Amino acid sequence: MNGELRSSLLIAYRDLVRFWKFKHWLASQIVMNLADVVIFALIFNNIVNREYIPDYIKFMSTGVLSVSVFASSFSIGREVGAEMRREVVYYLLTLPASRWALIAGRIMGGTFRGLIYQLAFIALNIALVGVPNLYQAAIIAYTSIVLSASMSALAIAISTSTRDFNLQATFRALTYYTLFFLSNVFYPREVLRLRFPGPLADAIAHTPVSLASDVYRWAFGYYSSINPLAIFELTLWAILLLVLAALLYRRNISR
Amino acid sequence: MQTGDLRAILLLVQWDLMRMWRRRIFVLMRITWFAVQVSIFGLALTAMVRFRGIISAQLDYYHFYLLGVYTSMLFSISVSNAYEVAEEFEEGIIEYHLTLPIKRRVLSLGRAVGGGLAAFIFTLPMYAIVLILLGGGPPEAIAVSLAASAVFSVGTVGLVLSVVLSVKSGDATDILFGIIDAVIVRLSTIFYPAVVLSRVAPYYYAALVNPLSHLVDLARTFFFFEEYRVLAIASPVTMAAYLLGLAAGLVSLAIYIVERKLEGGGWR
Repeated sequence: MNGELRSSLLIAYRDLVRFWKFKHWLASQIVMNLADVVIFALIFNNIVNREYIPDYIKFMSTGVLSVSVFASSFSIGREVGAEMRREVVYYLLTLPASRWALIAGRIMGGTFRGLIYQLAFIALNIALVGVPNLYQAAIIAYTSIVLSASMSALAIAISTSTRDFNLQATFRALTYYTLFFLSNVFYPREVLRLRFPGPLADAIAHTPVSLASDVYRWAFGYYSSINPLAIFELTLWAILLLVLAALLYRRNISR
Repeated sequence: MQTGDLRAILLLVQWDLMRMWRRRIFVLMRITWFAVQVSIFGLALTAMVRFRGIISAQLDYYHFYLLGVYTSMLFSISVSNAYEVAEEFEEGIIEYHLTLPIKRRVLSLGRAVGGGLAAFIFTLPMYAIVLILLGGGPPEAIAVSLAASAVFSVGTVGLVLSVVLSVKSGDATDILFGIIDAVIVRLSTIFYPAVVLSRVAPYYYAALVNPLSHLVDLARTFFFFEEYRVLAIASPVTMAAYLLGLAAGLVSLAIYIVERKLEGGGWR
């Protein structure tokens, strides 16, 4: 067991070291996430209905925290996708580590990447929204770990499902849009209720990205209260996504 | 241009169209993504927006948004040619193309027109969805917006060819177009009219030169007529001339790069 854990940690460490190899790609993700706050939210702040969203910049910058974890965790998906295309995966399979150790290591690597990447956006939220207390900071840390692990696992499973570069990019974008449009990142539940049947709007509030966004909004002081089960639901989502994604990744590398 | 060159262009256009046809799953996924965008994101944004007297014209934000999101999708699909071209040089297909008995200028023109037309045809189902959601539109608005979209798409593929064949790296292509897509869509009138952007001067001036703003505002002017004329970034003639000029310039740039700068095997 210790050997398995050591192998996973070594693989995660390798992925973490390679993180800097993708600094330009990460820079482009930062540009995209920042553009959402600095351009989209700033301009939209002038035209949103204040009755539902009093300050769209603060609303978006907390939402971007979830987006940023996703974007960075997906860098591991992009990498394992390239490994499939270039057949590096066969080399990885010959390493003296079990497949489960390899899978766990890759997911851990992606999780660490997400957490490091998110630090800049946490600083942005402290500057724009508010300073969390110790308890809130611990909740932010837990939410980020859980979200980052789920998104890394999901990205790995999606990126390895095809060897076609263009299809990989499309799968990535489709997942991005589905997860974020069906969430509370861009609009609160009250707005969704205006346009969609109540049960659908409520269901959207229970997706992992919505749950994480709401936790961040509460922890930085934008919301005064939070659904008490949010963290529990987020944990359940993470377990489900991690199990499914690990099984898919195992199937994809074994084909 | 000789008959042989025209035949070569037609062959290249056909090659690009067939390549797109083979990617039916990719097409279906993009249409799904588009449907999610107009049905969830668009409707939710519309519920949120309140112009608060900024705009005097009676403007339905959802209609405004629909033409915007079509434009951003057309741009995104035209840009996706970058991934195709990047994959082509990773696989050595570009080198094969360079050995064909086709002049380099004809090769680049054919790829720009072929890629642009393929992207444009690909977005026609999305255009039809927009038209249905708009409740139809005047025939001249449909004709002008379609013609402008085809020209814009050819110009964008010209830009894509120039950039990809200059940077010669799949990773750099992915990064560069990620940044271009993120910034250029937000710094345009796709999500908000220029009059709202004018509250932040640098953004406003960036939107004025942004080709996406010109394409979407040209279409909106023709669909919404007088209501939109006061909000558009320029007159219809100016916007059309800008799009035509830009497309010609970008295709010429692609021709210049393929003729003068491209060396077979230089990216390995």
